[in-house]
Amino acid sequence: MSQNLIRFKGKREGISIYIQKGSFEDIKEELETKIKKSEKFFRGAKVIEIAGIDGKYLTQKEKEAIVTLVTEKYNMIVDEHKELSKENSLQAEEIEEVEEVEEEPEIDLECYDGLKEGSTKFINSTIRSGQLIEYDGNVVVIGDVNPGGEISVKGNIVVMGTLRGVANAGNDGNKDAIVAAFNLSPTQLRIANLITRRPDKDEDTHEPKEPEIARIYDDAIIIESYLTKK
Amino acid sequence: MGEVIVITSGKGGVGKTTTTSNIGIGLAMLGKSVAIVDADIGLRNLDVVMGLENRIVYDIVDVVDGNCRIKQALIKDKKFDNLFLLPAAQTKDKDAIEPEQMKALSKELSEMFDYVIIDCPAGIEQGFKNAIIGADRAIVVTTPEISAVRDADRIIGLLEANGLNNPKLIINRIKQDMVNRGDMMNIDDILDILAIDLIGIVPDDEAIVISTNKGEPVIIEGKSMSGQAYSNISKRIAGEDIPLLNLDVEESLITRIRKMFFGK
Repeated sequence: MSQNLIRFKGKREGISIYIQKGSFEDIKEELETKIKKSEKFFRGAKVIEIAGIDGKYLTQKEKEAIVTLVTEKYNMIVDEHKELSKENSLQAEEIEEVEEVEEEPEIDLECYDGLKEGSTKFINSTIRSGQLIEYDGNVVVIGDVNPGGEISVKGNIVVMGTLRGVANAGNDGNKDAIVAAFNLSPTQLRIANLITRRPDKDEDTHEPKEPEIARIYDDAIIIESYLTKK
Repeated sequence: MGEVIVITSGKGGVGKTTTTSNIGIGLAMLGKSVAIVDADIGLRNLDVVMGLENRIVYDIVDVVDGNCRIKQALIKDKKFDNLFLLPAAQTKDKDAIEPEQMKALSKELSEMFDYVIIDCPAGIEQGFKNAIIGADRAIVVTTPEISAVRDADRIIGLLEANGLNNPKLIINRIKQDMVNRGDMMNIDDILDILAIDLIGIVPDDEAIVISTNKGEPVIIEGKSMSGQAYSNISKRIAGEDIPLLNLDVEESLITRIRKMFFGK
């Protein structure tokens, strides 16, 4: 039963509901059980985001079903278009969340750890074509990222292998985010709002022989070796 | 108002994507404005064959979900300014698009372009239904194998049931020397079973593998037999009357040379 398909995340503005891959029946069931467990907390609460994570794609229909469920049964308010106040006082936000966790310890409320020194996810496998890794923090892949695979995170991306797919670091606008890999040859590289790709005439451009790092410098993405002493 | 053409086959691996890319370029070479649409959500290939994979930012699911405007998702071809690709999403699945959304999208594209070519996924499920719903006409691709012909027959039935009457047939990957030896189904055998109009035949050609790996469809270079075949098919789609390629001429020349050297 407890498959952990549903994760709640408390923010100052309201609650985010994240949904993992699974049959929609299981998703609905788990959502209801979890809400029922702390009905006092959820009743009338504000939902600011309903989204699929870890490769789950939420269709319009599924989303509507969830919205109907939480609004009609638990009087929750769904308001997704509210701009999240990103920059102002992350500190205050963190404190508030801690309080929420203490109030309702049985709920799996995850803290939002900020962009620069946030939580990090380790992935011990190859990211293959069609897989999308999304995370509100940094990601380390112990394996390769194949063409057609995508990593899109708010923080940094480190690939302990070959990065051939699409990497999107700092996807909510953090220009200090970096992408590093043992072999950095991405299909496409995105940092904050900048997008870059390899030149078309690729034959004589370099095949990286050493670990490289990509970062924004002067409003352009640059790639350099990070073992400068070699 | 342009024309929406779906390229379909039922069976996988018979050359839908190769055909779509080559016909797209062929029509662009004739000066038409063309959009090619990859309807194979979750297993996209058309962008790779066209060599445009690294340009994708938005895809077809972003368009129907309203995350971007249709013009933002259309990728201009490297060589032809009048050819655009609408890529499929790779990290979603076929259910991400509803048939009604696909229909509206096809209509919108047909107002922007002379031709909209849709690359249909293999199979007869949701992806197939999405791909054909907005189409004005259909082209069925098959190879001279009994399994591919059987699937093509099934597809023709489904197309007709969905109001796409009179689909045209492309027979792909013909090995003329095998046909001559009687080891492969010939064109008449296939037409006998399927009983639809033939719009072109394409010989089995190593140039296809080379061009696919390079991301430059074979029609661009134009010298190969298969490139010639696709060029003829494009012209026929545009309304020209071109006779079928005679695969025998080329083959007999090769055979003759082979005989000279190897005495076979």
